[in-house]
Amino acid sequence: MQSMLAFALQLLIFPGIIFLLFMAFFFEWIDRKVVARIQNRYGPLYTGMSGILQPLADFIKLLSKEDLMPESADKMIFTLTPLLSFSLVLTALFLFPMASSRAIISFEGDLVFLIFVLTLTILNSALAGYGSASPYSIIGGVRSALQMIGYEIPLAISLAGPAFSAESLSISGIVEWQASRGLWMILLQPLGFIVSTACLLAELEMIPFDIPEAETEIVAGWMTEFSGRKLALFRVSKDLKMLLASSLLASLYLGGAQPLGLAPPIIVFLAKSIFMLLLMSLLRALFARFRIDQMISGMWKYLIPLAILQVMLVCLGVGRIK
Amino acid sequence: MSYGSTIKVPFGPQHPALKEPEHFLFKIDGDIIVNVKPRIGYNHRGIEKAFERRTYIQNIYLAERICGICSDAHTTCYVQAIEDLLGVEAPPRARYIRVIVAELERIHSHSLWLGIAAHEIGFDTLFMHLWRDREAVMDILELISGNRVHYAMNTIGGVRRDIVSETIPKVIGSLDFLEKRTKYYMKVLRSEPTVLKRTVDIGVLKPEDAVELCAVGPTLRASGVKNDVRRDDPYAAYDEIPFNIVTDDGCDVFSRILVRCGEILESINMIRYALDHMPSGMLRVRVPMVVKPGEAVSRVEAPRGELIHYVKSNGSTRPERYKVRSPTLANIPALCKMLIGQHVADIPIILAGIDPCFACMDRLVFVDVKTNKKKALDFESFRKIVRKRHELL
Repeated sequence: MQSMLAFALQLLIFPGIIFLLFMAFFFEWIDRKVVARIQNRYGPLYTGMSGILQPLADFIKLLSKEDLMPESADKMIFTLTPLLSFSLVLTALFLFPMASSRAIISFEGDLVFLIFVLTLTILNSALAGYGSASPYSIIGGVRSALQMIGYEIPLAISLAGPAFSAESLSISGIVEWQASRGLWMILLQPLGFIVSTACLLAELEMIPFDIPEAETEIVAGWMTEFSGRKLALFRVSKDLKMLLASSLLASLYLGGAQPLGLAPPIIVFLAKSIFMLLLMSLLRALFARFRIDQMISGMWKYLIPLAILQVMLVCLGVGRIK
Repeated sequence: MSYGSTIKVPFGPQHPALKEPEHFLFKIDGDIIVNVKPRIGYNHRGIEKAFERRTYIQNIYLAERICGICSDAHTTCYVQAIEDLLGVEAPPRARYIRVIVAELERIHSHSLWLGIAAHEIGFDTLFMHLWRDREAVMDILELISGNRVHYAMNTIGGVRRDIVSETIPKVIGSLDFLEKRTKYYMKVLRSEPTVLKRTVDIGVLKPEDAVELCAVGPTLRASGVKNDVRRDDPYAAYDEIPFNIVTDDGCDVFSRILVRCGEILESINMIRYALDHMPSGMLRVRVPMVVKPGEAVSRVEAPRGELIHYVKSNGSTRPERYKVRSPTLANIPALCKMLIGQHVADIPIILAGIDPCFACMDRLVFVDVKTNKKKALDFESFRKIVRKRHELL
């Protein structure tokens, strides 16, 4: 009974849903602020200290807005996809060890499960675009599915690298392996880190891979028709995805949640994730948008060979530690 | 690769890539454009009719408001046409001031366009930085004319305000800053791979097509054709100020970027020269209110290309007929040529590549399709027709 209660608390409050939601808003704020400063703007300024509450305020405002549904939309898909996208990303986030060296949910093979969930979120966006039945949404949905063909394979291959090294298919296992060796995976597999970062930028639909929601071409892409509560859910799941991507990089390549001196694991973990977020925000401010055919051919021409090379190096024993 | 069947994709009149309403119907095979049909005329403002209702002095202010970006080019063109009719010429100092304001306007228009082009290819950081630095030239314009957008510098027979010697050092200082920044942006644009990927060999317009389809301005010069009203038919003080016509042989969107950057640098040098060699003397000559009967055509190299104004006078205080041909209209056939064979994702940047200003362009004429007769309608009878049509529907 006691352990059930503790598990429920973990799931709901810390490091579960409530904590993750607030972290997601915090990450959005950091991202917006950093990009704004690079672009010589102020970014959020008025809500809370330096606008720190702006993402939360946006979320609450969207919840109160009118929820419109296009007449020609597929009602079930249109209603279910926002919920599905929110819950899928949350599920994936439970797999990461944050507050201690074990995640809330962890089992041998959860890395594969994670890749599966990432794929489902993109299929979900494609479905959302299809269900909205508007030309912009459909083009956006098709583009996001097409983009997945480009980055999913290099991402999966490069994530196999840490799994090979640690001889574990669980994220918690890889984190523990790094903690026990006192080494970060990024030092052993820098190539894999670069490939994963590029692929995660595409997963997050950030510049230079924001092709599915290219504003000047197709309005907001697959999200165009959504409004009110549904848009709020999509936006918060995008923030959660940002948290997910930085947690993924921090856990697999930067050692994840380990105590460091007096600092508890959660602080160390957040510091590493925020560092990864800063990297992604910086990259997102530095480029122009690729065209979809350029993106896919680039991914297949450069990133897949790089990812395979990384795995080959690991198999040959380069940078491998017993 | 062909898919054997084409689909029609409408673009506009309401679309995020177009800040003004205009409609293009694309025929698409897979992801490639095979045909494009423009439908212009959503933004008709009745500006030519308005010219006929106002006096020549009032029309200066109206001409200024044809366009919010090339406002000075329109007034220069207007006052030149009227000066031509009156047989007067602006004093030398006024002509130098006209050049300075026109070139400042070119700098501001081109940096605005560069920012928009960066935004169209998703490079928002460059867009923000360009527009921040554009403030420098806006400040100079405000310093000289008192206004940021509608400078109201020109009047029939000269200019309304002088450039006093105290402001010149400030202007020179800002120009140095702009020159440094523009050179830096040129370096960034030339070396940034994502920009090159999205602009090189996109929207190609061959020189012979450009000439045949009557393209104007930077669009024409980016196809390697040396054509500039400032050189071919000098007005104001352009015959006394040395400058190079910037051209590029790339014929694509990237050359259009480079030509505009080059023109910014060239304009900066022209302003420096003009400030140094400005003759002293009066600013304007007095002109009568009544214009004797006649016709006149005036040409000006606006930032977007050749601008033509035509005026017909009947000897009263108001023009009998006034016609404005803005550079965007001249570039539409060339634009349709550029779009064919391109990817759908490249539509925004190619469209933006001609620096369109649809609101300045649109005119309206009623054509009876059966008899092929053209006629003009006043607002009341136009409204009657529309009401009748809707009742029938």
